[in-house]
Amino acid sequence: MRSYLSSLIITLMLSASVFAQDEFDFIKKSTLSGYGELHYNVVEPENGKTSKTFDFHRFVIFYGFQWNDKWSFKSEFEVEHNVVEGTKGKVALEQAYLNFHYADYLGFQAGVLLVPAGIVNEIHEPPTFFGVERPKYHSSIIPTTWSANGVSVYGMYKGLNYRFAAMEGMNADGITAKNGIRGARYNGHYGDGHNLMFNARLDYTNIPGFMFGASATFNRAKGVNVIPWNLLEFHAKYEANNLYSVFEIGNISYSDFDVERSFGYYFDLGYNVASFLDWETKVIPFARLSNYNTAASIKTGALDSDGSALTTDKYNQNRWMVGLSVKPIDEIVIKFDYAQDKNKASDTKTTFWNIGFGYFFY
Amino acid sequence: MDSKLKKIFLILFLYTGVIYSSGIKDKAFEIINNSFISPKIEIEKFDLEPSLKTKIEHDVKQRFYQDYIYIYKIFVKGKIEGYALIDNVLGKSMPITFMVIFNNDGSIQNSSILKYREPYGGAVTSEDWQSQFKGKSNNSSYEIGKDISTISGATISVNSVSTGIRKLTYLFNSIKSKL
Repeated sequence: MRSYLSSLIITLMLSASVFAQDEFDFIKKSTLSGYGELHYNVVEPENGKTSKTFDFHRFVIFYGFQWNDKWSFKSEFEVEHNVVEGTKGKVALEQAYLNFHYADYLGFQAGVLLVPAGIVNEIHEPPTFFGVERPKYHSSIIPTTWSANGVSVYGMYKGLNYRFAAMEGMNADGITAKNGIRGARYNGHYGDGHNLMFNARLDYTNIPGFMFGASATFNRAKGVNVIPWNLLEFHAKYEANNLYSVFEIGNISYSDFDVERSFGYYFDLGYNVASFLDWETKVIPFARLSNYNTAASIKTGALDSDGSALTTDKYNQNRWMVGLSVKPIDEIVIKFDYAQDKNKASDTKTTFWNIGFGYFFY
Repeated sequence: MDSKLKKIFLILFLYTGVIYSSGIKDKAFEIINNSFISPKIEIEKFDLEPSLKTKIEHDVKQRFYQDYIYIYKIFVKGKIEGYALIDNVLGKSMPITFMVIFNNDGSIQNSSILKYREPYGGAVTSEDWQSQFKGKSNNSSYEIGKDISTISGATISVNSVSTGIRKLTYLFNSIKSKL
């Protein structure tokens, strides 16, 4: 693997120097952009206490620097839950990579990268998704935000966007029936270099307003035992003629583990009703249907991590949501949503309602 | 799976050295040659007059990347048939080089991305998406999601390029009598 990577870097560097300078004088430049979101969350379990919290969930700064036409650096620095002290809050470098953009059809990245799985993991500025919190699919199945140290080769040809990545492996000891691969992430902190994780992704974007694609991620996660797993997912998004729709579906298959499969999907549909009034502000009511089950298929006699018996209903959650996104300008969003989760095993419901204010700037 | 992936990487490396990456000027010439019959092109580095630059930047709420742009005057059989304006806008962190060809009346005949340098959002280079600007001028509406369709995963590029094209329609309208 190492020899392939070094030959890639050398070839790219040599080929870059062959071509003459473009007729534009490139300006060395730093760029600063960012996003943030304030949330008011109410959780009402069917049995139990209601919780109400006010949380400045994320404050994110993107810093980038461009040396020349081809070489640049990009980073994403994040503070979660406003204060970082002891076990409170979190500071993370979610992206920090060197980018070599050779041409539209070929580029190279090395550093802390976002795993190219699903829509929200790579593009997660608050105005880009429905609901105050990110879709639950993006914590149960795809463990957003999912960063990893690694290298990637990417490009685009006639609307076909492709990306191949080799990244740090996952921690098998963190894989659980309850949370799937979420607890197995190293997020760039001394990630496993023995069993690398590989990802391949394809997207088609040449239909205005519509994109669809799929990705495959696989790894032999190392821990006390090795757990080979793979994540296959499909995603599509339509945003045109005032109509907004998203569909994502994903499946994780595991070997040598009590859980055989995790599975989930969600479907969003929204419409900008302000278009009837010719307002510049977008007012988009939406509805979401989703199901996610981190233990959708299990081995006979499978046990949960606490030693209790596992069933395929235990983590089977159905969720519906209705809500509203109001965008006075494209970079600012005010969100409301109301959702209900139903667990199949306990047949209990949990109700959520949320208010959020989000922004991004560049 | 592992060995298959290695093969894919290897194929990519081998091709890297042989595929020619065409320059901005070459691409601009190619597009103009495809849009006009035997055109003759005269290139001018056009300095932006500071007060006009400030006024347009204020009107469209986007800065010019530099204090000049390039103007390609397009002649067919000795008669001027159009003007191609080449400029840059900033994407998420890298400049995007684009060209707008204007008819003599100030309407857009064609727009295209000459060079994209970001790892995300490259779909703005799509000819289908660019074709939405055809026929527009400084009096047209460029509202994203209404007049110009969005591209998932390319929000910033879509906003930057749309505003950049609109900015050139303002500029062209103000300077065409001087060209």
